[in-house]
Amino acid sequence: MAAPLQEGIYHAAGHRPGRFLALLFLRVREGIDAPAAGAALAELWAMYEGLKAGRLRDLDGVSLPVDEDQMTVLLGLGRNAFGLAGMALARPHGLADEYLFRSATPAGGGPLLRGSGLSYAADVRANMATEAFCVQIIAETKLAVDRAVVETWKLLADAAEPALDLTTFYLGNQRNDRRSWIDFHDGLSNLRSEDRESVIAIGPGTDESWTVGGTYLAFLRLAVDLVGWRRLERRDQELAVGRDKLSGCPIVAVDSGSPGAAHELAQGLSGNRQGPGDLRTDPGCPITGTQIWDSANDVPFAEPPAEVDGDAVRASHVQRANHHIRPASDSGSRRIFRQGYEFLEWAETPPGFRAGLNFVSFQDTPGRIIKMLTAGGWLGDTNFGGDEAAHPELASLLTVYAAGVYFVAPVSDGEPFPGAAALGVAASAPPAADPRLATGGAPARSE
Amino acid sequence: MPYDAPGHADELTDELRARWNETIARAYASQSESLKSRFFTLDPDALRNGRSSDAIKWPGDPGKPAFCVGEASAQALSDWGLTGRRAVQLEYCEYLILSGRDATGALRPKRVEITTEFREFWACIAMHDPELVRAMATEVLGAEPTWQELYGVSDPQALSVEEREIAFGHACAGHGNDRRLRVAGVPAQPTGRLNMERALFMTHPINGIDDLIYVAIFGAHAYAVSERDQRRQASGDDVFGAFKVGHLACNHADPTISLGVYDRVFHGKQAAFADPLGMYIRVPNLDVFSYRGAPVPEDWVRFRRGKPGSYQRLVFGPPDEHEAFLDDITLALGASEQPLVGGYQLLRELEIGPLLAFGDSDPIAESEWELLEPAAATIACDDAESCKPVRDLLQRFEAEHAGRAAPRTMPDPAT
Repeated sequence: MAAPLQEGIYHAAGHRPGRFLALLFLRVREGIDAPAAGAALAELWAMYEGLKAGRLRDLDGVSLPVDEDQMTVLLGLGRNAFGLAGMALARPHGLADEYLFRSATPAGGGPLLRGSGLSYAADVRANMATEAFCVQIIAETKLAVDRAVVETWKLLADAAEPALDLTTFYLGNQRNDRRSWIDFHDGLSNLRSEDRESVIAIGPGTDESWTVGGTYLAFLRLAVDLVGWRRLERRDQELAVGRDKLSGCPIVAVDSGSPGAAHELAQGLSGNRQGPGDLRTDPGCPITGTQIWDSANDVPFAEPPAEVDGDAVRASHVQRANHHIRPASDSGSRRIFRQGYEFLEWAETPPGFRAGLNFVSFQDTPGRIIKMLTAGGWLGDTNFGGDEAAHPELASLLTVYAAGVYFVAPVSDGEPFPGAAALGVAASAPPAADPRLATGGAPARSE
Repeated sequence: MPYDAPGHADELTDELRARWNETIARAYASQSESLKSRFFTLDPDALRNGRSSDAIKWPGDPGKPAFCVGEASAQALSDWGLTGRRAVQLEYCEYLILSGRDATGALRPKRVEITTEFREFWACIAMHDPELVRAMATEVLGAEPTWQELYGVSDPQALSVEEREIAFGHACAGHGNDRRLRVAGVPAQPTGRLNMERALFMTHPINGIDDLIYVAIFGAHAYAVSERDQRRQASGDDVFGAFKVGHLACNHADPTISLGVYDRVFHGKQAAFADPLGMYIRVPNLDVFSYRGAPVPEDWVRFRRGKPGSYQRLVFGPPDEHEAFLDDITLALGASEQPLVGGYQLLRELEIGPLLAFGDSDPIAESEWELLEPAAATIACDDAESCKPVRDLLQRFEAEHAGRAAPRTMPDPAT
């Protein structure tokens, strides 16, 4: 049986990710080798385990409300980690150049990938998501993820011989209205739960046995040009997304005004629209008395149909991003498992803030997302989807502020942190149960 | 039956069109007996509000060897000239790398010829209209072949239809697992140079229309899994496991076709192949290729044998008269820029698939559901038994190429 995935990948049926995200990036200091970096990670991991158990390093005896926080921690190893002296295991195939994103140009901007319509923002001169390690914190409370960031800094700053630096972090939150900043529903067309593990987890058919059961995390921090987006009429927005703005139902056709369409109008079969040029959804969507995200709509409606009428509908975002190919386990399906978190931050330029999405996906090979973003008929040469020629706003709707790919090692018994073996850090026998945890007490901080 | 020449690539007389449709009907009959399904018809016009779909597609690179020996070795095997073509190119897509010598005398890849054309169509035309098949070959090859090259005889018109089929099978098409041809001594793969030194059309028996029809009808059943008193859509493991055809799950094409049809049937749709029945190359994003920092010249990317949306042939690379070679073309993948050294890299950028048609949904009667047991385990595509041929082939490859590795050169296609 394959080693289990790390926590923080909410793929099981009925499990929803916590509402808040922090993604931290850790740089290895000059001259630090892999075992030393590993030792620092071991301390860090023990600190996170402490937080999850309700313990704070600086507050002996104080207990945190862990049930409320529901915090999970996931560690990713980046390309740069495998360049450290003393690495015990070779870089996994999925961190080869062909599976990584391009860098921003020194002058700012530049394509994320050749053949993709996504580019770095003009003011991005360095991609901050390429450090040796990333840590994903997810929790139900904002305080829990914020605290994890600060505690990370504290621990690293307290080290007698610092090995790691927290270079940056990104925060995000999920929306309880299941929508994104462009006001449309998001995350509806995610994988069926039974397909998820086969998409996420690296299977046994690999010559890198230590990676089996692991996965790759892809991260894109995408800003949305809300000014440009709001210049579009509702119809054009819907055609770009491929869903009805209010109901979330997939667009299935552009009304042609044909006799057939007129017949459907007469029969009341044309959804909520009136005439030629209007967009049609399935008239049964959503099932009466439900919202599009309710499970009753999962099979018939949440997933956009594979066959739709008209090139304009096929050019929409939802049609480009998912071609409904099975088996999802075949990387040729280009299916991925998404866990996105919105963000909002102050910005100097109008409108005075930057809104966007922390796009996080998990897949057994980053090739899935690279191909999805570059292939013809998919998202290749497209920024988001829709008719970019008619609506230039769509060609620059999304800009990239950071992008990275990380290997997420499987959990292995006795390792001080997932992937420790790669850094030459020895596994140990599982520690005996700490009697103080059962009583809510806190042990001495680990050093 | 309505099917025109694949890709509408050739003008067929009514007589020839009838012969081609008879060929399809025979292949259909051979499969539909055992897999009978009311959800699949050979007549797309019989569908209620039938709608053509190009949504069922897969990457053209061979999937099975990658499952067994990893991508790097899969690439080496797939690019291994005629040996690789005949052993691992089983995704309804075959190719050959044409090579040339550069100014230093080094053998280098010049172009890749990719074909998705069915041998059955070419054999049908060869049987009934030698002039047309020669015209088709001329279009594909760029020069008129001799009758000897096409049929192994100097006058195919003097042969009966059956004799022409056998002669063409020997020279160009192989037996395609046709029992009559096997009995007549036609080998599995052709022995003539036209389709050995070039990729004229597909010859591997597994890349035939009978296999395509089989996997499509196999998926055209109202399978469901009953779990906790609920009827759910079956997974690939459920379906292929239940019928003990796990091998169908271990490439790109077969499971994609079967499950693609099944997914529509599960919702009550009836399926058919759209006209024209064929296997088609979707146009890739050419922006990932460049030559000296600029887009690849248009005449280096030649889609043929079809129309937009239904091309069956792609010749990729500089023409003979140009000094450049295939590996002077750069493929941008992720953060990498790598020379294009063969067909495997190219096929990873292409998608292949037939055109199907689906009708409106109708209710599925309770008696029509075929309940399957949930799969006990995931089908292992890297198991020792099914991977043995691939691993044996890799051993052969490594033995033949031991000590011959040299950058930017290629195995001699004649080996």
